[in-house]
Amino acid sequence: MTQKAPPDEREIAALVGHKFPGGHYTVEHWENFLLTECTGADLLPDGQVHPVVLFHMPILGAGTTIAEMFALGQADSDFSIGIESYDWRMFKPLKEDVRYRIEAHITEADRRAHDDGRVYDRIQFQFDIADPAGDAVAQTIITWHYNRSVS
Amino acid sequence: MTTSPGPFIPDWEMKSVSAARMRTMAAILRDPNPVHWDHRTVARWGFGERTINQGPLGLSYMINMLHAWAGPTSIRRIVMRFPKPVLDGDRITAKGWITAIREENGETLAECDIWLERNGHSTDRPLEGEATVVLPDTTDR
Repeated sequence: MTQKAPPDEREIAALVGHKFPGGHYTVEHWENFLLTECTGADLLPDGQVHPVVLFHMPILGAGTTIAEMFALGQADSDFSIGIESYDWRMFKPLKEDVRYRIEAHITEADRRAHDDGRVYDRIQFQFDIADPAGDAVAQTIITWHYNRSVS
Repeated sequence: MTTSPGPFIPDWEMKSVSAARMRTMAAILRDPNPVHWDHRTVARWGFGERTINQGPLGLSYMINMLHAWAGPTSIRRIVMRFPKPVLDGDRITAKGWITAIREENGETLAECDIWLERNGHSTDRPLEGEATVVLPDTTDR
């Protein structure tokens, strides 16, 4: 396993305010079916989308990808990302075949260290999802740790 | 349905976390991270032979528990932390209990502590967090 020097701390801090392109996302029935099956649940009634969609739908709808989010924080490897938390607020049920608007930006980015001295960069992403009328449907906050192998 | 502080929410169980479901989920998420679908990569990095469940899938077991208890549109907020990975083959039980009940905008909300237990061991909690759930308009409170 090669060790890699961490990025400049200022480059990480400068990520605050970074805006993703934004865009739209529509969950079709096939996607909701497969997604719900992965959770081990039955389909929800009335075309309701399983809330687990609130992980990838905002990311893809905002015009980014998990890979780009890893790259923005200059992740050492796929194994170097740790999840601090996911915070999802749901204002209305999500429905199949509705074209939702998504906007996203980075709200926090800074270098920190665990008690044992291991260094990580903590980056927080916020996604806002609105329905075609412009009403807020959900807000999600992803906080990841980009663990650094060298301090 | 119990709607007062203290009691436990009925458990929801995933009898065996499935590597096949992780692969489907990776495709849906467009998640290129091989820890979720290639056990050889996981082994090369010294993490054993079992693929690692996506964080959102673990979270979904909590959602399924809350839906079964309070209904499919009941969740207002869910906050989840991930102290340990869930691995393929794990038996996972979603658990929770009510910490407080409050009224807001005409709704009765339950604040809940929620967590996952692995293989029936109460101290092995790969995920833990909190949820705010709107309770149905019940008359048995």
